Amino acid sequence: MDEEGVMYLVFTLMMPLIGFTVLQSFGKGGFGIIAAGLLIIDVILVMIMNWADFVLFPIITGLLGITFQPAAGYSIVKGQDSIVMEINGLFYATGFVTGNLFAYSFKQETAPQDEQGKMLQAPDTWERAIMNIDFPFKFHVAAAGLDSQKVRDELEGKRSYQEYQLSKVMQEGKDNMAIEELQRKINIYQTKIDRLSQGERPLASVMYFETTAIGVSEKAALDSLTSQIKALQIAMSSMDVDLVRVQGRELYTLFRFNFGLPTSFEEMALYFDQQG
Amino acid sequence: MDKKLLVFLGLLGLSFILLLIASFIPLSIATDVVKLLILAVAVVANVLAFSSRYYLYMILPLFQQRTRNITLSDQSPYWLSSTSDSILRKEGDDFLATVYINIPLYRSATEMSDEEKLDFAQQVSRLVGISKEPTRFTTQLYVMNKDSYIQKLRDTITMVEEEEAKLVASNAAQSEIERVRGKSAMWRKMLDNVGRGSSLELSSYAALSARGGKEFEAISMVQQKARELMSGIGATFGVSPNIVLGNELLKFVEPEYLIPFSTISEQITKNIQEEVI
Repeated sequence: MDEEGVMYLVFTLMMPLIGFTVLQSFGKGGFGIIAAGLLIIDVILVMIMNWADFVLFPIITGLLGITFQPAAGYSIVKGQDSIVMEINGLFYATGFVTGNLFAYSFKQETAPQDEQGKMLQAPDTWERAIMNIDFPFKFHVAAAGLDSQKVRDELEGKRSYQEYQLSKVMQEGKDNMAIEELQRKINIYQTKIDRLSQGERPLASVMYFETTAIGVSEKAALDSLTSQIKALQIAMSSMDVDLVRVQGRELYTLFRFNFGLPTSFEEMALYFDQQG
Repeated sequence: MDKKLLVFLGLLGLSFILLLIASFIPLSIATDVVKLLILAVAVVANVLAFSSRYYLYMILPLFQQRTRNITLSDQSPYWLSSTSDSILRKEGDDFLATVYINIPLYRSATEMSDEEKLDFAQQVSRLVGISKEPTRFTTQLYVMNKDSYIQKLRDTITMVEEEEAKLVASNAAQSEIERVRGKSAMWRKMLDNVGRGSSLELSSYAALSARGGKEFEAISMVQQKARELMSGIGATFGVSPNIVLGNELLKFVEPEYLIPFSTISEQITKNIQEEVI
C-alpha cells in the first residue's frame, strides 16, 4: 500500500476508534450492542474496500441495480464486469481478463535453463492458443519504465535487511529451514540487482485480455461474452497465466485506456493494485 | 485544494460530526433510535470517505443525479485530431493525445528454427522495455471486414434477378432464362459461403499518449514520443512501423470495427435460418 493509502486508512479508522471510546453514551443494553455492531461493520467495510473493493463494489451496484454511462453510447452493466454498446440494433459487450505473463518477462527464481526452455516454447504455445480462438480479442501489455537507480537502491536495502536477519539466525545456530529461506530471498534480490547491472530496465507492467461479443439483445451479448471469456481462459491456460475477470473500477480504467493512456508511471500505478 | 482530498475531508468531517452529535444526545427512550440512526449515517459517510480515494468518479455523480442510471459522461470518449494521426480526449484542463503505431510482424513459429524462436521471444521481451514512457503493446485478433464484398455480392444478385425478371417478361428463350438463373444461383451460393463463417485477422500495434494544455501541443508531443518508440521497435524487430492514420485508427478503438456490422449480421441471419430449418 502506498503512503496515500495508509493516510486514508488511518484517518478513516479514527472514526470507529473514537466511536468505541464513546460507546457508553449509547447505553449498556441492546442499543449499545447495536452501536458497537455498526462500528464493527464500519471497520469491516473499510477493510474490504481497502483490499477487495472489486468484490464489494459490484455486490452493491448489483443489489441496487446501478449502471453507469462512462461515455456517450456506452454502458457499464450493474455487475460491473462488462461494457455494452448498441449500434444499429446489435449489442456489443466488452469484458476484460487479467493475463500477467510474468513467467515470460521477469524470472526471479527459476534456473536460466528452465527460463530458456520456456522462452523457446513461448511462440509455439502462443500460436497454438490463438488458433483455438474463433472470436475477436486483444492482448494488451501496458508497461512503464522505472528509475533504475531507485529500484537498485530499494533492492539493495531489502537484501541488506535479509542479510542482517540471516546473520541473526545463524548466530542462534538453529532452524535450518529459516536459514535456507533467507538465503533464497537474498538470491532473488541478488539476481534482480545483477540484471539491473547488466543494463536491463526495470519495468512495471499490466497485462490483460479484452474481448468483445455480439448479440441481438443485451442479454445475448453478455451471455456470449461470458462464454468467450471462459473459452479465452481455457485457451490461454497453457501460457501459465492467472486469468481473472476484471470487475469494478479497474474495468472503467481499462475502458478509458482505449482512448488515452497514463503519461507517467505514478499515474498508472494509481489505477491498479489488487486485480492488476 | 485537490477535489479528491476535499471530498475525503468533507465526508470524514461529516462522519466525525455525526458521531459526536449522536454521542452528545442524552439517553432516553425517545432519542435512542435517533442516536442509532445518526450513527448509521456517520458509518455510511465514513465508508464513503474511504471509498472516495478510488470511486470519486462515481460518488459525486451518484449524489448529484440520485438515479440508478448514472451518467459519468455524455460526451464521445474521443475525437480524431485534425491531422488524422491521433485521437484526442479532454481530461480536466488538459488535452490527451494518443497515437497508434502499427507493428508489421508477419512471422510464424512454424517457420522458425529453435534459435529463431528463442530470439523472437527475447525480442518481444525487449520490445516491452523499449520505452520509459507508459506504452501499451497489443496483439489484436479481429473479424475481417467483408462488408463491402458482401454488399457487392448483394448488388450483383439484385442485378441478375432483375435481368431474369426482364427475360421472363419478354418471353425470352428458355435456355437464356436458365443461363441467368444459373448465374443467380452461383452468386447466391457465393454469398452463402462468404457469409457463413467469419475470417479472422491478427494485428500488432503500440499506443502511447501525451498531455498538453492545447490540442496541438499534445499532438506534437505524442508525435515526438511516437517517433522515438518507432525507431526502437524498428531496431528490435527489423521492421518499419508506421503511425496508424484516419479511419484505420477506429479498428483499434471502436468495438464494432472488431466485428464489422454487415459481416456479422449476414452470419446471424444464416444462423437463424439454419435454426429455423
